[in-house]
Amino acid sequence: MTTTVESELLLDLPPDAARSVLLLGTPATLEAGTVLFDLGGDADRLFLIRRGRIALTLPMKVEGRVADVLVEEKVGGEVVGWSAIIPPHRFTLKAAATVETSILAIPREPLLSLLEAEPTLGYALTRSVARIMGQRLQLFQAMWLRQMQRLLEANPAGEWSGR
Amino acid sequence: MTILLAVVIISVAEVVILSLAFRTFERADEKRARLELERAAQTERPRSRFFGEAAAIPSSDGAALEALLARLERHVRLEQQAAQWFLDNPTPETLHHRAPVRPHVTH
Repeated sequence: MTTTVESELLLDLPPDAARSVLLLGTPATLEAGTVLFDLGGDADRLFLIRRGRIALTLPMKVEGRVADVLVEEKVGGEVVGWSAIIPPHRFTLKAAATVETSILAIPREPLLSLLEAEPTLGYALTRSVARIMGQRLQLFQAMWLRQMQRLLEANPAGEWSGR
Repeated sequence: MTILLAVVIISVAEVVILSLAFRTFERADEKRARLELERAAQTERPRSRFFGEAAAIPSSDGAALEALLARLERHVRLEQQAAQWFLDNPTPETLHHRAPVRPHVTH
């Protein structure tokens, strides 16, 4: 039974509330290369990374073949699979361990029931998820704009805009 | 009269022959230009839209694909570092600046 995990998801929660969330989880260890979830799969669990590294990837056509291309990496203390909390509960990325990784898997239904039963906890945890999502959005906005700038500099006539 | 007719017929025949020869030459020229264009299109590799380094990798080779994916990963990591640096220090300059390279940490 795991009652202490340092996680960005639990930062805003009082210790008792954090503990009640952690009690729902099941610890697991993933070998390097293990796929945690697939793109489009049912987001039935949320994962707190305790140690190790998870690569989040999306398929991309590279040299005529489809390959999983790294989008983001998550390490100990971070959370993956927050689609479990947000409808329509579908994973929007593929996640796989790149090194041996310890996680805590928290199932969706008991978690949602807990959040509904304890609105203060629900609010605090939802705020944590909103912060994590907001950070990712800001990061990718900046990455997108940097790429747009390069595209514009490489093709000032706008050859890229037709697709 | 007969001589005049003969001259006219010969002149007309010359014009027809010359125009036929000219058209044939012109078609051959067009065909050559088209072939050159097609050859150029086949040899020209598409320009990479996002990853400048990517276009230099030869295709249809597993090792080359792995190398390309490794480069993409490195690119993504560097871009995330740069974007994070901007978020920590949000100014117009930091948005498009190269990030200080940090070593890739294994946890």
